[in-house]
Amino acid sequence: MAESHKPIHDEVLLDRLKEILLWDDRKELDEIKQILDTRAHLSERVSPIIEEHLSALKETFSEDYKEIINKLIEVKLKNSQEEIVNSLYPSLGRMIKKYIGHQFELLKENIDNSVKKTFSPAGFKRRVKSFFTGVKESELILSNANNYTIQEVFLIERDSGLLMGSASLHTTFDQDVVAGMLTAIKAFVEDAFKKEKQELEFIEYGNYKIVIQTFFSYYMAAAIDGTMITQEKFDVEESMHDFASAELTGAKSSEVSNSELISKKLYEYFIKK
Amino acid sequence: MTSKKIILTGSFGVGKTSLFNQFIFNKFSDKYLTTIGVKVNKKSVFVDGEEVNLLVWDIAGEVSQDKVPTSYFLGASGIIYVFDLTRPLTYKNLEKDIDYLKQILPGGLIKIVGNKKDLLEEDAIAKVVNDVTMPISILTSAKSGENVEDLFNDLAKSLIK
Ligand SMILES: Nc1nc2c(ncn2[C@@H]2O[C@H](COP(=O)(O)OP(=O)(O)OP(=O)(O)O)[C@@H](O)[C@H]2O)c(=O)[nH]1
Ligand SMILES: [Mg+2]
Repeated sequence: MAESHKPIHDEVLLDRLKEILLWDDRKELDEIKQILDTRAHLSERVSPIIEEHLSALKETFSEDYKEIINKLIEVKLKNSQEEIVNSLYPSLGRMIKKYIGHQFELLKENIDNSVKKTFSPAGFKRRVKSFFTGVKESELILSNANNYTIQEVFLIERDSGLLMGSASLHTTFDQDVVAGMLTAIKAFVEDAFKKEKQELEFIEYGNYKIVIQTFFSYYMAAAIDGTMITQEKFDVEESMHDFASAELTGAKSSEVSNSELISKKLYEYFIKK
Repeated sequence: MTSKKIILTGSFGVGKTSLFNQFIFNKFSDKYLTTIGVKVNKKSVFVDGEEVNLLVWDIAGEVSQDKVPTSYFLGASGIIYVFDLTRPLTYKNLEKDIDYLKQILPGGLIKIVGNKKDLLEEDAIAKVVNDVTMPISILTSAKSGENVEDLFNDLAKSLIK
């Protein structure tokens, strides 16, 4: 980022940033914002219900009742799901309904697993609660979900945004153009918030995520579909670093500029699994 | 295949997007849909039988440093600076803008383009050309398509040499 650049008026920047990010569908992003805002509300609503039942359960709990208790909680969660979704639905629309439904499914699935392994009222309570407050603990519970796919991966020249190579499961847009737009967004965000040496590392758009790792003269971006926890995001970042050090660092410039070769390697590394 | 990054810049409404649309689709619309942020487009051209990918960054109408991130210009091979022949305001700051662009893209190729040629008579155009203090590379009409192809082809040619 050039030093000569005058500070930009915050409001103008934020507006511009919004405009860029909300390129095609401002509405969808607003809905996502609402979901994020509502997570806290959701927590308020759900925690008391769970609290109530757990304190009752605590009294009577014994190893023998494990199965029954498990069933009970499952049923209650299922009922609460309807309740919560219905009360929120009118104002939040389809997006959140889908989102909550999906989260409940994940939760149920993982509660089953967690309960089988480490059932204790305290642990259970903590985990359920942390799920709704978004604290890291939730990731323990959801760690078996593992349902994301890398759809596309790009290797892009850092300054110009020119594509050095790419691979994808299904080709969507023109990849040269995607690389350019991605670079524009990245440049804009980094310029707007001008924190020294900070790089944009993550973009989320609905169920679609872009994980970015910036190296000296290029950066890598992986477009990911599905749900992903921090550890998994970290794994993707790690494999980008692995790829870079195995295939790019110290490679001959003729190899790095051979986009067909790079693309083939990207495919082997990230897409074909 | 070689790829080159090109920047289209200049004031609001001078016809940057129209020039590019004319170049790619041979289409022109009278409707003004302002570009938001930046739009990256691609078109490949042939220079002496060699294919060149032009990645054209069409930047929303503002050249000045406090509106457009300087990093948009990084790694560009050329800049097309467009002004509107019918609106003096769009070339009033030309010298200052070009200085600024030279500073953020040292050694980059800069083409100064006067657009909307179709709206003026020859003598009015001559007067504008006279008023403008810097050498204009080419006069275009995104509407009629006049000189549009030449603009991009010439640019590609000078980038490949
Ligand atoms: N007559 C005539 N009108 C033109 C020409 N080029 C553009 N226009 C019109 O001028 C208006 C602005 O054109 P755009 O191409 O959107 O301008 P722009 O420079 O991309 O504007 P921003 O994206 O806002 O920066 C539109 O109404 C076009 O139809 C031209 O060569 N002749
Ligand atoms: Mg435009």
